[in-house]
Amino acid sequence: MTGTTGMTGTTGTPETHKGHPALECRGLTKTYHSTEPPTKVLNGIDLSVGKGEFLAVMGASGSGKSTLLYSISGMDRPTDGSVRLEGRDLTSLDDAEMSRVRLTRMGFVFQQAYFLENLNIRDNILLPALKAVPRGDRAGRDAAVARVDALMERFGIAHVRRHGITEVSGGQLQRASICRALACGPSVLFADEPTGALNSAMSTEVMDALTDVHREGATLVMVTHAPACAARADRVIYLRDGAVVESRHLGPWSAETAQRREDDLLTWLRGLGF
Amino acid sequence: MRTRDSLYFRYAYNDLTKNKGVTLALIVVLTLSAFLMATGAMVMERSLGSVDRFFEQAKPAHFLQMHRGDHDPEALARFAAEHPEIDTWLVQEMLGFDGASLTWRRPSTGEAGDLGDSLIDNLFVTQNEEFDLLLDETGAAPHPAPGEIHVPVTYQQRFGLRVGDELGVGTDDGIHRLRIQGFVRDAGMASSLSSSIRFLVSEDDYAALEAAGGGAPEIMVEYRLADPAGAADLQRAYDADADLPGNGQAVTFAMIRLLNTFSDGLVATALVFASLLLITISLLNLRFVIRGTLEDQVRQIGAMKAIGIPGREISRLHLAKYGLMTLLACAVGGILAVPATGLLTQGVQVNYGEAPPGITTFLVPLLALALVYLFVVLVCRGVLRGVERIEVVNALVHGSVLDERRTARRAKRRARRVRRTGLAPEGAVRGTRTGALPRPGVNGRLVLLDLRAELGQWVLIPAVFFLAAVLMALPTNLLNTFESPRFATYMGVPQSDLRADVQFSDDVDTVRAALLTDMRRDDRLTDVRVFATVLYRVQGEEGWETLHVEVGDHSGDAIEYLRGGPPESGEIALSMLNADAYGVSVGDELAVDRSAADGGPGETGEGTSLTVSGVYQDVTSSGLTAKAQGEVTSGAAGYTIYADTTGRTDPGDVAADYGERFPTASMVPMREFMQQTLSYATDALRSAAVLSVLFGVGVAVLITSLFLGLRLTRDRRKMGVLSALGFSTGEIIAQVRVKTLLAVALGTVAGLVFAATAGERVIGSLLASAGLGFADLEFLPNPLLVYAAYPLVLVGAGYLGAVFLTARLRGADKSAWLRS
Repeated sequence: MTGTTGMTGTTGTPETHKGHPALECRGLTKTYHSTEPPTKVLNGIDLSVGKGEFLAVMGASGSGKSTLLYSISGMDRPTDGSVRLEGRDLTSLDDAEMSRVRLTRMGFVFQQAYFLENLNIRDNILLPALKAVPRGDRAGRDAAVARVDALMERFGIAHVRRHGITEVSGGQLQRASICRALACGPSVLFADEPTGALNSAMSTEVMDALTDVHREGATLVMVTHAPACAARADRVIYLRDGAVVESRHLGPWSAETAQRREDDLLTWLRGLGF
Repeated sequence: MRTRDSLYFRYAYNDLTKNKGVTLALIVVLTLSAFLMATGAMVMERSLGSVDRFFEQAKPAHFLQMHRGDHDPEALARFAAEHPEIDTWLVQEMLGFDGASLTWRRPSTGEAGDLGDSLIDNLFVTQNEEFDLLLDETGAAPHPAPGEIHVPVTYQQRFGLRVGDELGVGTDDGIHRLRIQGFVRDAGMASSLSSSIRFLVSEDDYAALEAAGGGAPEIMVEYRLADPAGAADLQRAYDADADLPGNGQAVTFAMIRLLNTFSDGLVATALVFASLLLITISLLNLRFVIRGTLEDQVRQIGAMKAIGIPGREISRLHLAKYGLMTLLACAVGGILAVPATGLLTQGVQVNYGEAPPGITTFLVPLLALALVYLFVVLVCRGVLRGVERIEVVNALVHGSVLDERRTARRAKRRARRVRRTGLAPEGAVRGTRTGALPRPGVNGRLVLLDLRAELGQWVLIPAVFFLAAVLMALPTNLLNTFESPRFATYMGVPQSDLRADVQFSDDVDTVRAALLTDMRRDDRLTDVRVFATVLYRVQGEEGWETLHVEVGDHSGDAIEYLRGGPPESGEIALSMLNADAYGVSVGDELAVDRSAADGGPGETGEGTSLTVSGVYQDVTSSGLTAKAQGEVTSGAAGYTIYADTTGRTDPGDVAADYGERFPTASMVPMREFMQQTLSYATDALRSAAVLSVLFGVGVAVLITSLFLGLRLTRDRRKMGVLSALGFSTGEIIAQVRVKTLLAVALGTVAGLVFAATAGERVIGSLLASAGLGFADLEFLPNPLLVYAAYPLVLVGAGYLGAVFLTARLRGADKSAWLRS
């Protein structure tokens, strides 16, 4: 299937990209044994995400999107298979090593902002940045603080930096969430339904921010239900019953082609039973 | 059962079985509370019941006066005739034998021993006919046949004596052998705080012992009054009459009653006190659990309200659950209290016999349990009122138990707080300030911020550990105070290693001189001080009264004075109760007549006035003593000599050595003297202290586990966020453990400080109000135990609870935390 917007669809595995992989997984399987019979949520997924690529993961509820995200980000241990980040096998790392990887090489944006309510906005963003700096490294600490303050300026939330998390809008909170994800300069940014709890204006605000981040060279993996959001990605994969059933290259996004990309994506998705 | 009630029951049952850990922990704490309350109530009821019944049967004297030496029977008859309030009276003749001269032998096995370990006077008597009866285990007043003897029950326990054993009494004519026919309980001298104990023999054997010599004759003048309340007045009248015999101890019925119930009362009070602390812990805990449950089930409650179930019905649904739990706890606690009371009142049963169970036996513990149940349920109902304030929309949409106004208020409060905090200085935004890294690190900072922000929840842990520390420290501090060698200062005696008594014999002056010479020459001894017990007469409200005065060298800091200091020449120091009785204080004058030992007041004209130099605490001799400076070498009623040992000399060896050389003097190591005198109280206190420590630690571990279990469930999302941000499980676990450790340590330290300060004052005033001669109790704690071992055990227990609870986080699915 070839579209006029330059989108290309592929079927089958492994799901590949153009360029060097930032993240790749092979035979990724996740089975929950707490149910009777055991539930296989991920069914041997092969996936590769290139450096600087923006990948959107779509699928119906229960298709395994979030589980895939948590498994490849090391939040969850897969039952089987391997995950590599910049060539490093994550599945062999212990908890402390994996935490260090999440701290320094990964960033997360969730549907709910998941901020610590005992900290103000700035401190929530500062938290991972300061955590990444060795104790006693004053220069590193000052650099981290400066980076966080610059990020807040850039995403337009510096004026609410001392606010509590209940004092700002959902859009501001998600932009703060993006700042926090970027605070340590990660290799890959994971976003799980980042606009799921926002209205359309705030959604656009957040997606613009993520698109900017991507344009500056960040690798993004985003789980979403919203075709308008997925249309921002370079590539979209579609999951059903824990397996990648389709993939579609969309190419670089621009505001001018946005609507057409979205329509085409919707048509493709409908074809998949979305 | 109505359908609705059955539904409530099913709901309560399902809820209880769903959260087994929480339910079990709550039931255990509630059960312990109910158990202690019921046990305390039952011990009190049994003790008082047994003592009352025993007193009814034994008919102890309402006032008694002991005396050694000659007396004027006519003066006694005159006194009785002049006082119509006296119902009946008697003079009991007694023969005192030293413990070392009493031996026992078991013919069947050949086992043998002596009663030399006992420091109190062993008085041989015959059975009285009218009152002050010595009773056997059936409550009957036995009359031993010639050749038989009934031994005090306390000796039965202490020396393991049995019926059929042979008791040998060392007399001047050799050993007089008697067969132990039974054991007797002594109302007048049952308590170990009493300084003597009675053996019951036949009149023939008494006459034989008297004739054989070796025993110190003594009499006890005893009075029964129509109204026991008049005992103190009678004592005053007796003291004012100089013709009456009175060089020994005088005891009133109130004191006998107090001494008899003191130690068991102490246990019962300690149990009730511990139970009150535990109930407080249970209520704090229940409040935490109920509020947590409401937060967890807020959407469920919102849905119930949405379909039209009134808030009150929902409250009742929850209340049924906690009511069921409390009922179960009260039932189990009540059942467990029955055998526990049996164990704790063994001493009571032996000394006083078991009172037949009456209606109060059942009513008192039931009432105590009903109070626990009602109190707990009422508090639960108060907390559950929160259900009625829950608004449907806030519950269903926001999952909040608060209404809009309170939500906004809370958000504002939180916002104000977070504006004031900062992980890095704000100045760094402008690049103008580059301070040091926030200390203590990011993890440490998060711990402190969390503790501050969640103070409302975390306060449960310091509160529980505060109460647990008080629960553990107070009985132990009191026990250590009673056991401390420095407690001598409360007994009005100097703190020393050895004490020798030379009393009530014809040759006291000679023995004193010889003993003192030997002791002063002895290289093993130092700081030898001799005090003479001299009888002064003091001008009291109703005339001249007898005052026992210790005359000797009181210089230095041999004893501690509440007010003032030791007496100089022309001065006198009074025990607190005496100072109160004569209405004098430091600097006041006290009119005394020092000729009392020789004749009647004023007869020889030695009336003089002494200045009160100081007031001290004394729990011996009913707390009525005095001290004067000087040296009396003859004519005293008795002498007491104190000495310290040098180097590593064992006071026990020295005492044994002198015991052989001076059979009429009694020398004992001070520590042993204190232990025996106070053993009844300390034994009882030790049981209470051990129970308190066990319960304190157990409850502390239980509550820590319960709290953390619930806390970790509620903090799952926060832990998920931290995990996603790159905090390792180890760091997340460490944060929880450090928070627990801080909370536990804070509570423990605060509890120990409270126990040492306010607790000391509370216990001090309780003892002062008991009229035992204490005015200002200063704890003499064992610092290693109370300030090192206990906090270590408590903090260690709390920390171990945290380690155990957080260990399960290691294998947890972090993504599930975020999705929860």
